[in-house]
Amino acid sequence: MASAGSGDEKAAAAAMITLISSDNEKFEVTEATATLSQTIRHMIEDGCTDGGVPLPNVTSKILARVIEYCKKHATAAAGEEGSSSSFSDAAFLEVDRAFLEELEEFDDAFLEVDRATLFDLILAANYLDIKGLLNLTCQKVADSVKGKTPEQIREMYNIVNDLTPEEEAEIRRETQWAFE
Amino acid sequence: MASPEPSSSPPSQSMVHGAPAASNSGVLPADVLFDVLLRLPAKELCRLRAVCRAWCSLTFDPLFASAHAARHPLFLASFRDDRAHICVVDLCGTVVKRIPNAEGHQLLHTRLDLACVATARYGCRVLNPATGSVEILPERPADDHLNRENFRKLNTSFAFGRIATTGEYKVLRIFDRLSLHGFNEQQLFEVLTIQGASSSSSSGRAQWRARQSHDRFVEASSAIVVGEVVYFKVDRLYDAWIIAGISTSIKPDNIISFDLEREEWKGVLRGPIADIFFTDEYDDHLEDYRILWPELTLADLRGSLSLVHYRKSRRIIDLWVLKDFDTGLWVKEYVIQIELNFPTTERRVKSLFMLEDGRIVIHFPKTGLVFIYDPRTNTSAQMGRRHLEAVAMYTGNLLSLQVGDML
Repeated sequence: MASAGSGDEKAAAAAMITLISSDNEKFEVTEATATLSQTIRHMIEDGCTDGGVPLPNVTSKILARVIEYCKKHATAAAGEEGSSSSFSDAAFLEVDRAFLEELEEFDDAFLEVDRATLFDLILAANYLDIKGLLNLTCQKVADSVKGKTPEQIREMYNIVNDLTPEEEAEIRRETQWAFE
Repeated sequence: MASPEPSSSPPSQSMVHGAPAASNSGVLPADVLFDVLLRLPAKELCRLRAVCRAWCSLTFDPLFASAHAARHPLFLASFRDDRAHICVVDLCGTVVKRIPNAEGHQLLHTRLDLACVATARYGCRVLNPATGSVEILPERPADDHLNRENFRKLNTSFAFGRIATTGEYKVLRIFDRLSLHGFNEQQLFEVLTIQGASSSSSSGRAQWRARQSHDRFVEASSAIVVGEVVYFKVDRLYDAWIIAGISTSIKPDNIISFDLEREEWKGVLRGPIADIFFTDEYDDHLEDYRILWPELTLADLRGSLSLVHYRKSRRIIDLWVLKDFDTGLWVKEYVIQIELNFPTTERRVKSLFMLEDGRIVIHFPKTGLVFIYDPRTNTSAQMGRRHLEAVAMYTGNLLSLQVGDML
């Protein structure tokens, strides 16, 4: 790494972490990007990231997506910090708002994935403890379930109905108000 | 995707069953499923109980139920265009559930997991919105009150509260005096304890217990229950006394309190009127008390007694909060700037509540409209478009059928 090393901030920004997917692919990311994951943040704090961070639960396909998300949001976080410390005028707020809108558009586009990928992203976000990503993906699943019948949901998510017909009838009777 | 292979991951990770084909499809760990389902409204969740056993048992989990209640605050509403139901509504005013209230009883301003509806003619019912159960309280007065010659003509008011230490619910019934000028009459008070599920068959036998009358008249309709105490504004009858110069120790801003747990009168509080007069547009003149007192409403601000002062001329609502009962210390904790979307015909607030996150729910009596004010942004939004006769906070949980010990 040929960083000029002028000031702490640059040094921190230049510090790179290697993430290793379950299928042994290596990804170089900045510390700022990697530490959106609380799991990785703790590993860095404990000083156990030399030689790369193995992530046996995350495939390269999913890890690439997760990193894409973290890069975008790490930039956003850095932007926010900058704005609160040195700028406060209306023009800057305008830029801020535009950036937030762009971030929202990014998130929307990011969620345009098939169900299997969405679930894999949730599992990765859960394992890596990335709050924003977990929030985003869980909300997407919750939205997809809204207004659906139990049958539709079973079909959508390959869920086997393990209730006996008697149990199901009982549940439907007790919660009849919810079907109206 | 990788070709399907025999699952080597421990089955305990799998909360959602099935998922025969692709790697992780359809399989969410329990904590993630928790997080996903928490985002759905109660009605959706009840319907989704029929999906599979895992989803069903999660929605019955007490930890889940309380997390859900904190995230989705609910209200009880009596709509003017539908008096025959008490509705459970969410923050947007959307009806989540309707409970029959066939005789159009009036809803009390409680902050509990049960609803209490009553009439001015002795009748009172306790409804459980979660189960739909109804307990009809006896109309027959306490034995000690039966021989009062004109009790049949008296109007009744009610207050409903829960005793934290025992978990019991109690109703206070007030027989008001017959006429506005009935100085020689007495207001009659009686208490009834709501029977629990264990003795549901005996609920018809529950009896009202006569309790001592207070030596002053209370404004029965102003009752608000905070914790285990019922607070009343002093009757407006005394305005006339004070103005007429009739000597009395009664101050026009007295608040009279009844301890529902011990079933006895507590102390008489003074409101913050002296402070209001001192700093305000009112002249320190007795006439002005008459203008001021009706502008004030008692409220339960998340466990503290609050006095809501609607200052229409200044387009402000002041919220005074009682900090210490014994010293009578009041603090003006919130000043709400009335927004343009508030109805201009209103002269007072009917009821007011505070949500967990600090937002304030304001119900106006004339228009029946409800607004939700956010102190953090100093903005307010209207809750739905319909007109409400009464609104209460619902602290119970539609997910839990065991709530309230009633069957």
